[in-house]
Amino acid sequence: MLGSAVLNSRQHIGLQRVSALAETVRSSVGPNKKYKFIQDDTSGESVLVCSCFRIIESLEPTCAVGQLVLETVQAHHKVYRSGSGCLLLLAGAWSRAALDCLHRGISVTNIISFMSEGMDICLDVCKESTVLFEDLAVTGRRTAAPRGVEKTFTEAPQGSRHMQRATKSDDMTPNMSVRRKTKLSRHFCETTLHLDEPDVPGVSHAAEMLSHGCEGSMKLVVEAFQLQSKKNQELRNPMFDISKVMTCVLPGLPEGRACVLHGCVVLLSHEQVSVAHQIKERRLKVAFINGDLTHTYRHLGFKKPPGVQPVSERSVPSGSSKEDEWLEKVVEVFLSLEVNLILTTGLACESLIQTCCRHRILLVERVNSPALRLIANSSGALPVTYPTQLSEHCVGTGVQIFIWTDLSSYGRKPAAAVNISTGGGVGLVTAVITSCVDGKLQALEDQFWACAHRLHHALKDRVLLPGAGATEMLCIHHLQKAAERHSQADADRAQETKTGTAAGLHRGHVLQLMADGLIDYITTVTVNAGRFSAVEARTVVSRQLQNFHRDQIMAGKFSQLALEAEGDASADKTPAARIYDNLSVKQEAWRKALDLVFLVLQTDAEVITGTGRKGEDNLMLL
Amino acid sequence: MSRLVKKSPSVCTDLPLDNADICNKLRLMRELLGSCYGPTGRLKQIHNNIGGRVVTTSSSSVLLPAIASSEPFVNLIRTSILHHVRRFGDCGLFAAIFCLSLVEQAKQSGLRAKAVIRSNEHLASLCTDYLKQGGCGCKVKLDLCSGRDLVALARSVVSSKPACVLTEPECVHISRLAVRAFLLTVPCDTPGSVSLGQTVRVSVEGLPVTHSAVVPGLLVDTAEDVYLSQPCSLPHPLVLFSASLAGDLSELGDGLIEVHPRVDSDSQVLSQLLELGNQVVRDGVKVFVCQKVIHPVLQLYLTSHGVTVVERLGVTLMEPLIQLTGAQPVATLHSAVQPTAYGQVGGLSVRRFGSKTMLHLQACGESAICTIILCHRNETMLNELKVTCQKAEHVLRLALREPSALRGGGCTETHLAAYSKSEVPALGRGCSQTEYLRAAEAFCRSLESVARSLEHDGGTSTIDPTHAHRWTRPSDVATERRGVGAGCCGCGSLDGRETWTSAEFPPADLLRDASVQPGVLDSFTAKLNALQVAVETANLALDVRYVIRDVN
Repeated sequence: MLGSAVLNSRQHIGLQRVSALAETVRSSVGPNKKYKFIQDDTSGESVLVCSCFRIIESLEPTCAVGQLVLETVQAHHKVYRSGSGCLLLLAGAWSRAALDCLHRGISVTNIISFMSEGMDICLDVCKESTVLFEDLAVTGRRTAAPRGVEKTFTEAPQGSRHMQRATKSDDMTPNMSVRRKTKLSRHFCETTLHLDEPDVPGVSHAAEMLSHGCEGSMKLVVEAFQLQSKKNQELRNPMFDISKVMTCVLPGLPEGRACVLHGCVVLLSHEQVSVAHQIKERRLKVAFINGDLTHTYRHLGFKKPPGVQPVSERSVPSGSSKEDEWLEKVVEVFLSLEVNLILTTGLACESLIQTCCRHRILLVERVNSPALRLIANSSGALPVTYPTQLSEHCVGTGVQIFIWTDLSSYGRKPAAAVNISTGGGVGLVTAVITSCVDGKLQALEDQFWACAHRLHHALKDRVLLPGAGATEMLCIHHLQKAAERHSQADADRAQETKTGTAAGLHRGHVLQLMADGLIDYITTVTVNAGRFSAVEARTVVSRQLQNFHRDQIMAGKFSQLALEAEGDASADKTPAARIYDNLSVKQEAWRKALDLVFLVLQTDAEVITGTGRKGEDNLMLL
Repeated sequence: MSRLVKKSPSVCTDLPLDNADICNKLRLMRELLGSCYGPTGRLKQIHNNIGGRVVTTSSSSVLLPAIASSEPFVNLIRTSILHHVRRFGDCGLFAAIFCLSLVEQAKQSGLRAKAVIRSNEHLASLCTDYLKQGGCGCKVKLDLCSGRDLVALARSVVSSKPACVLTEPECVHISRLAVRAFLLTVPCDTPGSVSLGQTVRVSVEGLPVTHSAVVPGLLVDTAEDVYLSQPCSLPHPLVLFSASLAGDLSELGDGLIEVHPRVDSDSQVLSQLLELGNQVVRDGVKVFVCQKVIHPVLQLYLTSHGVTVVERLGVTLMEPLIQLTGAQPVATLHSAVQPTAYGQVGGLSVRRFGSKTMLHLQACGESAICTIILCHRNETMLNELKVTCQKAEHVLRLALREPSALRGGGCTETHLAAYSKSEVPALGRGCSQTEYLRAAEAFCRSLESVARSLEHDGGTSTIDPTHAHRWTRPSDVATERRGVGAGCCGCGSLDGRETWTSAEFPPADLLRDASVQPGVLDSFTAKLNALQVAVETANLALDVRYVIRDVN
């Protein structure tokens, strides 16, 4: 049986739901986030969340539209790890815009075509107001300017031209002025190549501008980046390979202990620690196992025959059980290969761990499988599925372990964090994230990944957008200008012919509503920054916009907006400490928000299959 | 203890079309499907009552299987349309709307069912004969030598699915890809009977649509660290297994097996596997593919001997791989591999799309296998895009058999309606002239109502008497007329400058200006069949006297 509920009328329920869901994250948009408790009334469990993504994920929306929202946000989060709040808030704001359009009798087809037009305007603005990453990096490191910088100068005019076109006042463009300063700098003229300098020029400085309020996490990310780039001396085109970055969360230590290490970090139990102490800082022979180390384990896809029955004419003396036999065999293999360290992605049975400890073999369970693969590659080993498969050429060498910290705890808690490092050029780094508060670890880990992805995408895009609302302001300006133009053109036409269509009027209206959505976003971010109330923020934003309309000031001035709002502390910061956003993250978040609105806007009915029960009166049954 | 329960008697519904409940359900189904029709159609969210995955779609191939009804009478119509969709891939919504409104109109007219059935049969054969004629006003010859017509045909399919959420350039890009993929599946120089190859669709979430691409050969999912055999000697011999090489006894099926406790069946199967591997390596095989799981020990053995291993290929990729390489799938591990079973691979490389790592297998010589990589921003839209591309491919293949297309955008329907009205009634048995005229009127109204279903924003549809094309006047005056000049008709071959004069059939000849190709094209074969299916199904539905249900 099947029911079908009609969603669409002028009161589009779907759009209202998107808008309502978006409201739940309103107070968490922007760099200043407050922690929230989400409590499940039925189970009594609660969770401490910080980011917009975690909020919407923990809320587990069950309605069809909610699922669509969650799916969109998850897809975005998987790739970018930031910008979910922006996506949600804009989806909400634009849903309201679409609802408003429906109220005014604008057809769905037209709403879609006009809104896509608005999106094109915004994306063009983004493209034109980009700033080259190198330019920002230069502002940070004027002194040691290796080869990469010279290339920047040849490329720079291109970047600045974008800037000029967009702003019409090159003199005040910060990167221009900074560049001029750099040119005159005597350091620059005397520059010799500092190739031994591990830091890629200015990345740490640029990263600071991308931290969006998570300075601590960004510091870790920069450390990770520097550790990684020490290995590959690719200074011209630095990349941050986040697939080779791992995290390890350690509760119970103060946040200040967070750091970044080569290789991977694992937690060991008490008796394993003593083995680790015996073999630490030596070059070890190591074996890698993909899977569990138990005698019943079979590889994925292996089906046990269902009806196997052992039969024999007389009872076989069962001297030793199968497990003991297996254990003996495995240990024998380990000993004959003289391995000291075994890493496995799965679990190992307790008796094997004990036996290994006795033979001074350290067996580490639950190693992240990409990490295992990277370490195996660098030590020249081949990961295998069964320990019996191990042979001389599967075993790697050169892996070292270091005791990072002794946690000296009791019971079943891990007793030490041990760093397993190859010391070789795989570039695998691990960020150890610590906090005394257990519930905060998830948020800190999220922050770390958000920062890591921001830096990764900045290096990949090679351009950045002026942040703190500057780009949005520019988009609003262009949208409003376009809206005015259409309304004006239409008014003229109407005067001439008296039969002019309202097309321009409607188009202008839709564009204006889109701009309002962006204003809503900036206002929310400003309010969340904490210095202004909602009304004040609105006033500030509209004053800025008016100024902008009047004398077309450069985009840079807008960035002051959110900085101003951040409080006095930032007022005395150097002008170089500005905020920047990722181009790809912003573009994708906007586009996905609009996709979501379009999908929901065009949906007019929900088809529910399998409704056997009565009682859903509002459903039409087929 | 056994207990007997009396069987309850069957329930019989007399004249199902007089039943208000059934009529309501039919009307609901027509509204549901009608609101999905065309490029501005509305979408439906499908999920089950316990909150399963939500599918957002407007295509008949996804919608029809989902809307199973409790009423066998409704299901009769649904399944018959579904069969058309499975066979022809396109025009499912057309068939459904047409069929349901034929039933509804017949009901409203109050005519005898027999008379309506007879007239419908007559009118349908009239229409199909007319469509098959050379001089038919709504048929357009397709020029298979130029890509333009094919792209236009593919574009009509792609743009009619709003759930893909494509912008104009993206729509063009996907249409071009669909045509390119189709052309790659047409073998170049095969003498004798030609059989088309296959397109494999791979979807990648999170990349922009414009990153979608078509590559000749096959892309198969593989592990991140796949071992590539050295390109020392091309082509590489390949072996393909359809049997599981996991080392288990799954082939034995169910039932009890008695074994001696000392017998280690696992290691015996494994040694069998290794023997197989040994033979394959001796025969110089460089690529080892298995539909199912390969035992890790065998994998290690093979890679250490320089063989590229692909496991878990999946059943859907077996056929294309067989076509690509000429290999015979080996179904057992208990006998040696026949030398004739080996296939060949022309090229081998690793390609990355977003988060996916794929092994690219190319054919040795000519091959009609290609892979289309579809990228989109989210899963919902990607799924719809996949369905749409499949549909486009189907339509293009149909065009190869019959290189013509019908004018889209509702113009064919209005044209056919005008044609049917103009034809002199041929009196048949059991149907009076008045009855025929009224039935014909209902038939034409149904055709026109299909054309009208294309409009969802409350605009009014009009039919011009000169060419019998469909025009829309938007409800909100804001609508910018699409196309050139002051708007054009549904299929895009006429613009508003033409003056409407005569009201006679045959409508004014469009062929005088052959350069004007309609912008919207429908598949000829699919639509013709849809028309027949709709009429036949409607006739059957009208003919049903009793519905008898066993309610036990």
